Amino acid sequence: MTKLYPYLAFVKKSFLGLSAYRFNHFMGILNTILRIFIFWEIYRALYGGRTEVDGITITMVATNFILSMGLDSVFFVNDYYLPDRIQNGSIATELLLPVSIHGRMLADNLGHALFQLLFHFVPAVAVSVLFIGIAAPADFSMLLLFLLSALFGYGVLWTISFAAQMLSFWLINVWSIMTIKNVFINVLSGSMIPLWFMPDWMRGVIRFTPFSSIYFTPLQIYLGQLSFSEILHGFLIQFFWIVILLSIGMFLWKKGQKKLVVQGG
Amino acid sequence: MIIFEHVCKFILSDVNLHIPQGISLGLIGPSGSGKTTFLKLTCGLLEPAAGSVYTMRLIPEKNRRKLGSMTGAFFADTPFFREEDTVESNFRDLKIIYRMQDNIFDKEYYALAERLGFRSFEKESVKQLSLGQRRRAELGALLLSRPKLILLDEPTEGLDQTARDSLRELLMERKMEGTTLVISSHNMEEISAICERIALLDHGSLRYYGEKELLLRHFAPDEVMEISFSGKMPDLEDLPLRHYSLHQNKLKLTYNSNYVTSAELLRHILAQTTITAVTTQKSGLSEAVSRIERGEKHELY
Repeated sequence: MTKLYPYLAFVKKSFLGLSAYRFNHFMGILNTILRIFIFWEIYRALYGGRTEVDGITITMVATNFILSMGLDSVFFVNDYYLPDRIQNGSIATELLLPVSIHGRMLADNLGHALFQLLFHFVPAVAVSVLFIGIAAPADFSMLLLFLLSALFGYGVLWTISFAAQMLSFWLINVWSIMTIKNVFINVLSGSMIPLWFMPDWMRGVIRFTPFSSIYFTPLQIYLGQLSFSEILHGFLIQFFWIVILLSIGMFLWKKGQKKLVVQGG
Repeated sequence: MIIFEHVCKFILSDVNLHIPQGISLGLIGPSGSGKTTFLKLTCGLLEPAAGSVYTMRLIPEKNRRKLGSMTGAFFADTPFFREEDTVESNFRDLKIIYRMQDNIFDKEYYALAERLGFRSFEKESVKQLSLGQRRRAELGALLLSRPKLILLDEPTEGLDQTARDSLRELLMERKMEGTTLVISSHNMEEISAICERIALLDHGSLRYYGEKELLLRHFAPDEVMEISFSGKMPDLEDLPLRHYSLHQNKLKLTYNSNYVTSAELLRHILAQTTITAVTTQKSGLSEAVSRIERGEKHELY
């Protein structure tokens, strides 16, 4: 516990620090609600009065994008945490402090995510549920498994960013890489277009990427579309990606640090 | 505390030295002579290309975090704070990092804020500060956790005289408490006032390492004495002077203090005439350093 103390304190500090930017925050909530309503109108037009296309009801689709966009606001990752520090040289200062730089980065992000969960996700999803409506969770145990799977989904999203950030040891500008990464996440994770509507060959490809583990796995659990063994499989895949991406990130970190101490800055 | 064994890195070549605990060392030398490299090797930001470095019996680049809890390192060209946050918020981060109790933090923080004068802008974000303001806060941050080893790279750059004086006082206090100090600077007076040992780097090799007093005796033994006298001009024939000059009734004597002391000179002159005023001036560290850099052989005894 005492080992964790600084990190918990940083979670708290990051959480409390956000309450200073009220206007920014309200605009953020408004933005999420607007995006949800725009998607709702698009899908209503696409469904053209029908309630079901290929066995996918419009309620399932609404549930997908409302929960995905809600979670998207919670799943906070600062893609430029390390790149900024490597760029301006303050990485050297942080390396000499007696706390883990990664632990501090995670703590900062978690504080942010907790704040978003309470003050962004809850109001935005509440408004959407009130005016659009979503499917109820399949049952209570599925709701719990959904929450657990969403937590792992955040883990996958975070470790993708973690590994990508390490590239800044070798690249002067990682902006383009981060942008490409985020486009991949938006399109291939199923948050905009549910993966049900993707052609089979594409779903086959996506199965071998970490992206569907972020939002789509938890969502399918929520809707009760997965059997018990499929849920277990989903968790294992999420876990697999977290381990793999974290290992890649740590490997690159070691290499990058070596570069720093050998070449200096 | 710090051991360098045959260390080579960048410009540094075959540097050997041992800095015992509690010593205050001034690291001097022209720009590009390897001062910053030396300090970065000491705290583990660089790895020696050959040889080995030990800081507090640890290999620095493998024990950075452990050393970090006992060491404060400041590099003039490395940002120390999070730019977007306020000064106070940055200090609160350090409070968390060093696990300081509330009362201890408050005591240290307010004392440092008062003495280094960053209290007035503690609520401003770091990016809004001037260089001097930022430096004062950064040096305060460095001293906050009372590290056992303090490494400073050009700490006084951008500081005004008041802040320089406060910093010197603070460092002297820490030194009395047994803190080991390594300071690199171009400012010889600064170094001279704080440090008892000197390491002189020149093009990456250690030209001198030892007591400051000894360095002065070897390389800057000259003293200048100005005597105003009334009465007859004293006879200076037998005195081992380097040279002397007379202007009206003011006599200026330059001599090597290793050969003759000011007391001996005075006694000799007093015996012959009446003295109305005396001033003496030792040549400083900068004189010694420039003589070493010019490659002069020292004249000892």
